[in-house]
Amino acid sequence: MATIEFNQVGKSYGSVEAISDFNLSIEDGEFCVFVGPSGCGKSTALKMLAGLEETTKGNILIGGKDVTDLGPGKRDIAMVFQNYALYPHYSVRKNMGFGLKMRGYPASEINARVEEAAKILELTPYLDRRPKALSGGQRQRVALGRAIVREPAAFLMDEPLSNLDAKLRVHTRSEIVKLQRRLGVTSVYVTHDQVEALTMADKIVVMKLGVIQQVGSADELFENPRNLFVAGFIGSPGMNFFRGTIQNAEGRVFTTFGGAEVPLSDTLASRAGGDAIFGIRPEHIVMGKGKVETGLSLVESLGTEKILHFQIPAGQTIDNSEIENDEEDDDRDAQSMRARIIDDHKYQNGETVKMDFPRSKIHVFDIETHEAIK
Amino acid sequence: MAKRKNLKPWGVGATVIAICGVVLFPIYWMILTSLSKSTELRSYPPRFLPHDPQWGTFSELLAAHPFDVWFMNSLKIAIAVLVLSLTISVLAAYALSRFRLKGGQSMGLFILTAKMLPGTLIIIPFFVIFRQMGLIGSLWSVVIAQATMIIPFATWMLKGYFDTIPVELEQAAIVDGCSPIGTIFRIVLPVSAPGLAATSLYCFVLSWSDFLFARTFVVTSESLWTLNLGISSLKGEWITDWNIVMAASLMASLPIIAVFLFLERYMVGGLAAGSEK
Repeated sequence: MATIEFNQVGKSYGSVEAISDFNLSIEDGEFCVFVGPSGCGKSTALKMLAGLEETTKGNILIGGKDVTDLGPGKRDIAMVFQNYALYPHYSVRKNMGFGLKMRGYPASEINARVEEAAKILELTPYLDRRPKALSGGQRQRVALGRAIVREPAAFLMDEPLSNLDAKLRVHTRSEIVKLQRRLGVTSVYVTHDQVEALTMADKIVVMKLGVIQQVGSADELFENPRNLFVAGFIGSPGMNFFRGTIQNAEGRVFTTFGGAEVPLSDTLASRAGGDAIFGIRPEHIVMGKGKVETGLSLVESLGTEKILHFQIPAGQTIDNSEIENDEEDDDRDAQSMRARIIDDHKYQNGETVKMDFPRSKIHVFDIETHEAIK
Repeated sequence: MAKRKNLKPWGVGATVIAICGVVLFPIYWMILTSLSKSTELRSYPPRFLPHDPQWGTFSELLAAHPFDVWFMNSLKIAIAVLVLSLTISVLAAYALSRFRLKGGQSMGLFILTAKMLPGTLIIIPFFVIFRQMGLIGSLWSVVIAQATMIIPFATWMLKGYFDTIPVELEQAAIVDGCSPIGTIFRIVLPVSAPGLAATSLYCFVLSWSDFLFARTFVVTSESLWTLNLGISSLKGEWITDWNIVMAASLMASLPIIAVFLFLERYMVGGLAAGSEK
């Protein structure tokens, strides 16, 4: 168990900067998740921590010891790979004990530790099988077992759930969290799935284009996103955005949405007359009251909850490139907004509804810098 | 439709039998000739089944000619070529597969040029070099010449196989504390067993079937003759005992069959199955 620190770490491939000014401190026993769209540098950061990629700048400390120039085998870390990377010519037992054997542990201790880890991961009946005789979930557990028998200072996991089906992924997700809590080992987990990040992490690091956008707990990121990218990336469905002007009339600070007043925090009074991007999460929109009146373009029923789609008034839309989200991952329709509600009303496509954007739930972002305005 | 379905396996079976017949007939003819009397060899119509098997032909061959010497020379050369070629090819193929070398792709293609040159062309510079090195009349000259021709293609065969092995397997081993060289021996090579077996067979067969290099570099030293050189000497100026030649050829083929049977168990594709998702 150990703390992990990245100090001014950078990585470049020729003139291409993959990671820049990466500063991060992970506490002992903390579960830290790197999340971001494809190509944001999260796996590169993990590989630098593992020693599988060299850093071009800065240094990395594990347990207070500078490991920047140490090889992966000398960093006292264990890693779980996206494709499990089990040794196909070894049995489960040998796969799990390989790291200990390389470190010169006696056979009796290797066996005892492997048996113990197998018991925790319910792999005892499979110890003498080869990986090809196991299911995807079992292989994943063997990969985890190979990591835990070593009792390392830190676990590193590179999208370990991405090859599992949806149901098994949810189950294994909670198993990993329980295991990490039980062992108390500092863990760094990489994923592009924000649901995994939000449900598993003590600390989430949101990345884009090799730069940390925000570090915080799930609640902090959800409630106080630092910029437009984080606001759009965290949450499912993502935050709704519309463009507008901050107005101050007769002591009321507001913007408009299709002509209807949307009240804003009084702290924005000094910015009156300026344009901004406004954001509200789908679950924060209140239906059935308020000044905003709009027709529903699509009603999606998910049983208990419903996703209601409605158009953003002309001239108030922003396009996806402004949010700078990963196009592959983003299902956002720039022309419409979504409300996520749970009520008994039977909504119909085309129905005109009233809705309210509560003042305390509106996020405001600078139109140029995209930074949050408090 | 049902009729067409029934015809399909028959058609496939007939095609397989026809191909096997074409491929195996020369071998059958070799066996038949080796067991026939020399007086029967030119009889017409030819016999397609052994009439009175002449097993004595084999003992006659072994008694009259230094077959064991030829055999041992061929075996020594094949083993040396196999070890030399595999050692160099494994390291070269691993480097080409795993490291981003400057001009690596061009280098990979360049090494194939040695294979593209016909043996009859490359043998002249070989002869000059070996004469200067004092290797003419030594088995090493044959070993080096054969390895030079085999290594480029063996490297490409192995590179193709190494490319299919996920790099994460090696990364996992390195994180587990294995050294880079240890990773090659403990992980990469065992996982590459099918590729290594196929490459070994290729090296062995090519070395075993060489005639040109042996004929050029060791023909003057009879004690260094290889099997192919020895068998070619069985052809007389006026009369050739084809049953003796075929008996020698049959015995010379046995090691290749033995090597194939030994390596066949490793040549099962997909050993890496199960390492990934």
